[in-house]
Amino acid sequence: MPVLDDVSASQSQAQKREKRKLALNIAAYLSPIIIIVIVFVFAPLAIILFFGFLKSGPYGQIIYTFTFENVIAMMGGGYGKVFLRSVYLAFQTNFLCILFGYPIAYYIARFGGKRKILWIFMIIVPSWSSYLIRLYALKTLVGTKGTINTLLINLGLVSEPIQILYTNFAVTMALVFAWLPFMILPIYAALEGLDRSVLEAATDLGATPFRRFFRVTLPLTRGGLLAGSILVFIPTVGEWLVPSIFGGSKIMMAGSLVAHKFTQVGNIPQGSSLAIMLAATLVLILYLTIKWGGREALEKAL
Amino acid sequence: MKKKKRIAQKILWVLSILTLIFLWAPMILIMVYSFSNSKYGSSWEGFTLKWYAKLFTNDQVRDALMRSLIIAGVTVVIATLIGTMTAYGLFKLNFKGKQFLRTSILLPIVFPSVVTGGALLVFFTRLVHIPLGYPSIIIAHIVFCSPLAVFIILGRMQRFDWSWEEAALDLGATPFRTFLRVTGPQLLPAIMASAMLIFPWSFDDFVITYFVSGVGSTTLPIYVFSQLRFGATPVINTIGTLFVSITMLGMVLVYFVQKMGKSST
Repeated sequence: MPVLDDVSASQSQAQKREKRKLALNIAAYLSPIIIIVIVFVFAPLAIILFFGFLKSGPYGQIIYTFTFENVIAMMGGGYGKVFLRSVYLAFQTNFLCILFGYPIAYYIARFGGKRKILWIFMIIVPSWSSYLIRLYALKTLVGTKGTINTLLINLGLVSEPIQILYTNFAVTMALVFAWLPFMILPIYAALEGLDRSVLEAATDLGATPFRRFFRVTLPLTRGGLLAGSILVFIPTVGEWLVPSIFGGSKIMMAGSLVAHKFTQVGNIPQGSSLAIMLAATLVLILYLTIKWGGREALEKAL
Repeated sequence: MKKKKRIAQKILWVLSILTLIFLWAPMILIMVYSFSNSKYGSSWEGFTLKWYAKLFTNDQVRDALMRSLIIAGVTVVIATLIGTMTAYGLFKLNFKGKQFLRTSILLPIVFPSVVTGGALLVFFTRLVHIPLGYPSIIIAHIVFCSPLAVFIILGRMQRFDWSWEEAALDLGATPFRTFLRVTGPQLLPAIMASAMLIFPWSFDDFVITYFVSGVGSTTLPIYVFSQLRFGATPVINTIGTLFVSITMLGMVLVYFVQKMGKSST
């Protein structure tokens, strides 16, 4: 009996030692990120969640009384509309990015040949060069005194510059312009990973190219589409620069509303509740995406 | 049949070229205009280099550039270090709450910048009183860059040959020595790649920086934004041209580093 006791005692001791070693390792490798997550991610979120239920005084000071005012203001009327428009614009952008992105991704993957690297390079460079500068460049092209208008007037096609800026069209175009590369790359990666023999099998079995694309290629690249959609959809919902440069004060989006409240008006409670609302909207959408497409898609997207 | 395929290929080619033109035309335009003699920077009136001369003698631009470089430099070093440690820990260790931690790390990337920026601004000004300027900007950048480093490096780790590390440990090397002599060098391409991707992220960030920068810490993107209100200016054209050129150079560099990494493993 004592022998057995000994064994189990040393076993539990070994277990303890293992446990302690694991805790030590976690502390050694993961403490910095845990601190960042707790202090600089969760704490700030908790603060704005708290501030979202407070009142703002006439000079931007915070009045510490609990109120549902901000939440109610969001539900009815103007703010709700802005949120709905943001989600709608994000869906539209996403759809257009797939529509324009799929053909070029497909072309590069199948017919790119030796120039594949060059094609990819031409898509990665815009995605990594300054976002702000790219938007500015697009504005130079389509502005009232921009290149397109100057050209049209010089050619005598129009007498007055056409108004492109501050329209729905301008905002949509700028969103697609900004985020298209982030859709092309994951689709391309998915197409590259496609098993060619499956496609050959489909052809051998008599599928028309059209049918083969919609029944085989498209479903098999679902992962890439999902990853691209996450990369495009999320930043689009919270977009601030595009609506402020291309929409002016006419076309607001949720992101510009939050930024406006925080940086221009200085109404922290309202900004906080709008920010929380925006974050909650995204978390909900993301949760549904993960449930539908698996978390790998999300991590692959990054 | 073959002819049909040819036509399909041609159509796809045309669509692809049109997409590329859409993506590149505005950039090429401002690159051309950066050499134009026009005061407004939105038409062609003869070749000049004077905007570049103006750019390099502009104190505001120089200060903003220095600030951005310092911030991005510090951020890259710290975020890459944290990213490497975290990725290693997440890969090697199994514990309760790991999945939760992974999801939490993703938050700063998936939340819109305005939310992260707003939350950090309130946190810095109302709760902990970290001075707005370098400290707040660098902390904010580390917060949104570290997760990126984690997932880039973690992705590479999953494709690794870990038997080398085991062999080193079996042969009696201390964990520290093993990391220094075996695992570290193997990880180097991944670490370099993440650093090279983080640098432009940090350097280029406008939204979060704008929220937490306070008065007087103008980074380059913030300077560009403040100039945008006055419409097109030739100096921004030159900045844009340099930006794109440097990005292209950086991309080529990343390509070769990755190629190096592939041939060494």
